[in-house]
Amino acid sequence: MSATALNALVGIPIAYLLARRRFWGRNLVDLLVTLPLILPPTVVGYYLIVLLGRRGVLGAPLYRATGFTVAFTWYAAVIAATVMALPLLVRTARAAIETVDRDLERAAFTLGRSELRTALEVTLPLARNGILAGLVLSFARALGEFGATLMLAGNIPGRTTTVPLSIYTAMQTGEDAEALVLVAVLTALSCVVLIASNRLVARPA
Amino acid sequence: MTSRLEVAIRKQLDGFTLDVEWSAGDGVAALFGPSGAGKTLTLQCLAGLVRPDAGRIVLGDDVLFDAAAGIDVAPQRRRVGYVFQGYALFPHLTVRGNVGFGLRGRARAGRRRREEEVLARLGLEPYAERYPRELSGGQRQRVALGRALATDPALLLLDEPLSALDLPLRQALRDELGAILADWGIAAVLVTHDLTEAYRLGDRIVVYEEGRVIQAAPRAELLWRPSSRSVARIMGIRNVMQGVTLKATADRIQFRWRGQVLEAVNSPSRSYLPAPDSPLAFYIRPEYVRLLRKDRAGLDGVHHMNLMSGTVVREVDLGTSWTLFLRLDEPGPPAQGEYDLELEVPRLVYEILEIDRDRHWQFSLHRGAIHVLPSA
Repeated sequence: MSATALNALVGIPIAYLLARRRFWGRNLVDLLVTLPLILPPTVVGYYLIVLLGRRGVLGAPLYRATGFTVAFTWYAAVIAATVMALPLLVRTARAAIETVDRDLERAAFTLGRSELRTALEVTLPLARNGILAGLVLSFARALGEFGATLMLAGNIPGRTTTVPLSIYTAMQTGEDAEALVLVAVLTALSCVVLIASNRLVARPA
Repeated sequence: MTSRLEVAIRKQLDGFTLDVEWSAGDGVAALFGPSGAGKTLTLQCLAGLVRPDAGRIVLGDDVLFDAAAGIDVAPQRRRVGYVFQGYALFPHLTVRGNVGFGLRGRARAGRRRREEEVLARLGLEPYAERYPRELSGGQRQRVALGRALATDPALLLLDEPLSALDLPLRQALRDELGAILADWGIAAVLVTHDLTEAYRLGDRIVVYEEGRVIQAAPRAELLWRPSSRSVARIMGIRNVMQGVTLKATADRIQFRWRGQVLEAVNSPSRSYLPAPDSPLAFYIRPEYVRLLRKDRAGLDGVHHMNLMSGTVVREVDLGTSWTLFLRLDEPGPPAQGEYDLELEVPRLVYEILEIDRDRHWQFSLHRGAIHVLPSA
């Protein structure tokens, strides 16, 4: 859930900018945001450690300044899940924003709205279903995240264990029954999420 | 006419250059021309949605854009209302929400009062709580107008306001639009590729072609005296042809065409005096070609001007009238492919003269029916 909230906060503005603005480095942002969809999760996890680990590019200064490190904490699980789920939200939301008629935004401009107000009052409400569908998908992706989480957050019971990690642990320790229950729950949830997201996309704004 | 709006802009796009200069007074200026001529781009520049590369836009006392002085007023502050092609109503807002959209920032009571006023004036009160998708084409047009007019803009821009509608509705809404514009007394710029629309709604017509203005004139002058061959062509005027000047005076022009010597009235307001032997373009309205009745030939004793004879080589039944294509009794290739002149006769005349049986005719043209066009 935290990952989804963080996703919305980061992903929707990125989707809007990618859909509506032509800025320097736009293709690079597009590439970076999409990469986690293609790369093996362990590779993404590796990059996150390089970036945020105790000796990482961002992690080292943070550790020196505060004595705190992200790796192997609950935050790490959230960040890993967010990064992995971001492409699904950004891609879906961007497609939805691009279908909003530009004349509607132009109309808002001539009626006195700034670009930010126009985005909040016109563009995003009209792209709402697509954005919701993206959020639902990214929620499911975050829930199922395994590889990157394992790399950055480890698998510390009660602290950084996610559902897929629990399934893995259960299988390893021979607790097949518990694994089965978790697998069933995750499968059912994923089905619900897919149906919901398809319905959202199909429905006119 | 005090000019209220002065436009002189240049904008370079991929494979297209807009380079126009025109002005307009109070009332409606119709930008007329084929699709892709730069009319909508001009509106977007006027609204501040597209930034020209160079030039100046002045509305009343306000400079909206001046490339040299670095002035570019944001669209939010131009006081320009825009009615988009297809109307661009906010689908997630009610009629009231759309009309009141530009009024945010006013006190709630004032906003409400203005909404009511606009809704009432446009007859939209019964639909105030409906959504755009629940409205007819005519109601949508009124909502789009109401939304743009609610903020009291200094200028209203209309981009092909009627193009989304089918023909019968289109005519009704054209008249309604004209009435609303007259009622609000607002200066407006209207984009259209339909000459009837330009003529019915525009006090002044600005003719666009390929990113340029080829004529800007009060509408009466434009229709009867297009300034050039390209204006005549764009306006769909038929029988635009070329002759060779014999003699031009302030009130008459004589020229040679297809072995005939024709005489036309020269425009009294701006006489055109081409040198002898220079080429000149002219047009003849198809409905002004006069067929001579054979049973009365020589009886009425009228001197016929510009007398010619020819054969009907093709005809088209238009219901209430017939279009005939005539080839002159002259050697050499006809002026317009397989024929020299297109003319139009009412159905009754066609039947009385039994044109379906008799194909060879004498005809004449009053010199007032031949319009000479300065070549361009």
